[in-house]
Parts: sequence; structure tokens; C-alpha cells
Amino acid sequence: MWVGVAILGTLAILAIFAPWITHTDPTAQDLSNTLLKPSIHHILGTDDLGRDVFTRLIFGARIDLAVGILAVLFPFIFGTTLGLLAGWFGGWFDLLLMRIVDVTIAFPFYVLAIAFSLVFGAGAKSIIITITVVGWVAYCRIVRAQVLVVKELDYVHAAQLSGLPTKRILGRHVLPNVISQAITFSMSDIVLSILAIVTLSFLGLGVADPTPEWGAMIQEGQAYILQEWWVPFIPGFMVVIVGFSLSLIGDGLVKRLIK
Amino acid sequence: MKPFLSVDNLSVEIETSRGLLKVLRNVSFEIDSGASVGIVGESGSGKSMTLKAVLDLLPSTARYTSGEIYLEGVPLLSKSPKERRALLAEKIGIIFQDSMTALNPVLTVGYQIMEAPRFRLGWDKNKARARAIELMELVGIPEAEKRLNAYPHQLSGGLRQRIAIAIALAGNPQMIFCDEPTTALDVTIQAQVLRLLLDLREKENLGVVFVTHDLAVVNEICDKLLVMYAGRFIESGEVQKTFQNPGHPYTYSLLKSAPDPDVPVHRLFSILGEPPDLTKPLQGCPFAPRCFAVQDNCLASEPPIIDTKGAHAACFHSSEIVKMESLSTINKGGQK
Repeated sequence: MWVGVAILGTLAILAIFAPWITHTDPTAQDLSNTLLKPSIHHILGTDDLGRDVFTRLIFGARIDLAVGILAVLFPFIFGTTLGLLAGWFGGWFDLLLMRIVDVTIAFPFYVLAIAFSLVFGAGAKSIIITITVVGWVAYCRIVRAQVLVVKELDYVHAAQLSGLPTKRILGRHVLPNVISQAITFSMSDIVLSILAIVTLSFLGLGVADPTPEWGAMIQEGQAYILQEWWVPFIPGFMVVIVGFSLSLIGDGLVKRLIK
Repeated sequence: MKPFLSVDNLSVEIETSRGLLKVLRNVSFEIDSGASVGIVGESGSGKSMTLKAVLDLLPSTARYTSGEIYLEGVPLLSKSPKERRALLAEKIGIIFQDSMTALNPVLTVGYQIMEAPRFRLGWDKNKARARAIELMELVGIPEAEKRLNAYPHQLSGGLRQRIAIAIALAGNPQMIFCDEPTTALDVTIQAQVLRLLLDLREKENLGVVFVTHDLAVVNEICDKLLVMYAGRFIESGEVQKTFQNPGHPYTYSLLKSAPDPDVPVHRLFSILGEPPDLTKPLQGCPFAPRCFAVQDNCLASEPPIIDTKGAHAACFHSSEIVKMESLSTINKGGQK
């Protein structure tokens, strides 16, 4: 787990301090120095427009990590809240919500993503909206199932019988005891959402050139994969590393939070 | 004087995949304030369900099909859920069997004791804190002030159960419902917790309703005994009298299955068979298939609760059971 935290932490620090670490502009072109091999001047070489790959990589991390986290945070909040209420109150609200969940799950994600990028325009905003619209259902289901278990536990009964307000029972007794699974899931969900961002950008539906973004970088670099393989390989490898470190964190959290 | 709690003809059904389960069938009983009542019966007889039904803690698949519950004369089931909860919260506290699930694992025990005074009675933090320490000392927790900030997993089972009792007392109830509070504890701790409940009864004039299958416990701390079988009360009476002179063959068999330390036996007496399936309609006395004293009229109709020697038992042959058992050759578990 700490390996994952270390890798991700390093990456996050690089991303946050990107403008101070490298003084190159991620969008500055140098057409006389295109597709250079890694060297002292360009640690990871340059791309087809002579832009520094390392600079673009860490500026890209800003977008990918930020969107990845936001695209998990929003569904996490919505899904958890709705799941908590559905599980606790049950009845028609629960029934209706669960049917909406079923429909959402049945709907193909990328079709929805394309539709949203047409409506809101390609970019980080529409990616976050798309993932939120689809992603909340997983949290809703996880939390609802846990609430159904916890609400029959003795301490919840005792809290009910001692006449505490429902808000307090939900906030203090139910929520803290159902949230750990959702948190664990969110770690693997960040991987999925980063993959989704990368995929969408690769397909031209996400973050558009010249803004640095890993998916777009892979897409631009794929033409050179046989000669200058590092141009698409490096951003692709970053995605793998981020995914790997988040999985390590997720596994660590499972061991810690879920006994 | 009105009884503290009076349950009249209460029936509860639970929807299951096998059909409607009639967990409580026309249950009626009364408990006076300050009384201590033991409810006994085997697993699935409806003892815990009776508690849950009275305290409005039934699972969502259960519903009341008949009857009414009166708390100090106020009909609870006619009230809105909110009013019902408020009335119950004011008068009754509860202690559960497993102190691990009875306490919220993510809150400190002090916080949990202070919750009811602070958020229901509206006390300020310092007053609630002082009360929590006082309660913890009352239930015999050493170094109460230090333990205020402990989490449940840091305490032993006996201490956790004491905390659970303190939480139940924090709302100043007049009666405590105990759902097998000592079953999950080892014997010495059991005795301590029982001792504590007895003390509290005397000191705080607290009523106690004790659900258990431990007859020795009932003998020790209860005045009145209620015996449940197949979702019904089949016998009620004073503990001493009923122990000496049970009016129902089931009670008799239960008492006989308890080991007596003075009499060495090779095999314990046991009641053969199993309780009836409550999803199916019952024909005759539900205990008849397992009864040593069964006669023809037992199979024809279910006996009403009838008066026997000052106590009540739902059996046609109350007066003859002792004689019947000694004569019968069936269902002799042991003592050869």
C-alpha cells in the first residue's frame, strides 16, 4: 500500500509543481527539433511538433489526476447519499431509485460519453459529467446493500430506541459504518475513470490538443510507434503506473477497512 | 393502578420466501412498573420478536396484524411512528445479547453514553459528560473518566456489556428490556452482570424484562415468568410457584431438562422433536406432537389460556401433568 502511496504522491507533487520543475512551456513548439531521442535537454525526448515530452507528461498528469479524482468524488457523494437514503427508508423511493440504477447500468457508457461530448463540447467538463452520471450507481448499490445490513444491527436499534433524531442516526451510526467499502471501491474506480478519460481523449472526445493529456499524447504518438516508440509508450506507461499504484492503495485499504 | 406496559392480543407476521410466518399469535401480557419479568422459550419461539414488536424495532418485512400495545395506558400502535418512538424512548431502554454489535465501533463509548442526554434531552456537553461518568461508575466500570474515550474494541466483553447498560440507562428509562444479555459472556462475568442488574433494580427502582433461555437466570432475578412456545404465551405465573408446580407440560419439560448439580445423571432429559413450522396453519395444541401427556382433545383444538392454581397455562391437562409424566414411557430422554 505504501508503495502505491509513494508512487502516486511523487506523481501528484510533480503535477502540482509542474511549472516550477520545468521551465519549458508544454505547448511550445520547436519544429527544428522534432521527435528527438531522450537526452539531457529533453529527458524524455520531443514529440512530432518538437514539444518536450517530459513537460507535457507532468502537465498532463495535472489534468488526468484532477479529472480522475473529481470524476470519482462526484459520483461518490451522489451515490453514497442516495444509497444511504434508499437503504434506510426503503419503500417506493428505494424501488424507483434501484430501477434507475438498473437502467443506467444497462446503458453503454461510451455511447453516453459521445452524446455528452456533443452536448457539452469535448473537454474535461463533459468527461466529469458523463462519469458522474454513470458512476454514482456503483456507490449507490454498495452503500445501499451495507445499509440494509447495518440498519438491523443492535447499536442502530439502540440508537433508534433512545430517541435520537434520524439525521443523527444516519450520520453518526449508519454512514461511518457503511462507507469503508465505498472508499475502497473508489480507489479502483479512479483507475477506471482515468482510463476512461485517456480513452475518450484518445478517441478525440476528451481533452483536445494542444492541452497536454496522456490519452491525446498516445494518440498523437501512435503514428511513430515503429521508429520513435517512446513518444506513445511513455504516456501509456504512465497510465499503467498510476493504475498500478491505485490498485496497491485499494488493496491496502481493503485489508485495513474491511475485516 | 394501570400496568406500566400492557400488550393486548398482539399478532405479528413476517413475510418470508416460504410464506407468511406467524411469529406472534395473539399475545397478551401485562407488566407493572418496577416488576421483573422473565420471558423464556426455545429459539424461534418468539421471545425476541415480542421485545422487538413492543419496542417498534421489527424488521421491514414484518407487520402488526392485530392487537394494541399500551404504555402507561397510552395506545402506541394508534400513534404516528414518530410519537411512538418518542414515548418509548422516554420510558424504556434496551440491552442486547452481543455487546460487540450493540456498540457502534466507530464512536467512543463516552460519546455513545452521552448521545441520548445531549441530543434527546438537550443537555449541554459538560452536564452529559458528568452524567456519563456517573453512569459508568454506577455500572461498575473502574477508571470511568479514562475509559470515556475508549473505543468498544478496546474493552473486554464484560465491560462492553456494562457500557451497553450505561447507554440504556442514560435516557432515564423506567424499564430495561434485556435480550439475552448474558448469553455471550462467560460464566463469572455473567454472574457479575446479573448482580449489577439486580442492584440497579433495587437502587434505581428499575423494571426489568429479561428474555432468556436460561432458567437459572430467571430464578435468580425475576419475580414473574412468561413461557413462550410457537409464538404464544403458554404459561404465566410467579417464578417460585411455577418452578415448583408448572402448569404446562412444556414448562415442566423445560425445568426437567435443566441439570441439577446435586443429582448425577448420565444423560440430560431433553424434549424430543422440534417446534412447529409457523408458516403452516396449526391444528390443535402446537406442543402436542412433543408432549408426554398428549390426549385426543389436544389434537383437536388449541387450548385457550386457562386458570390453574393462580397461574395461567394453556393446557387442557394442567392439573395432571406430573402424574402423567411419571406414567408415560414415551419421551424419556434419560435418567436410567
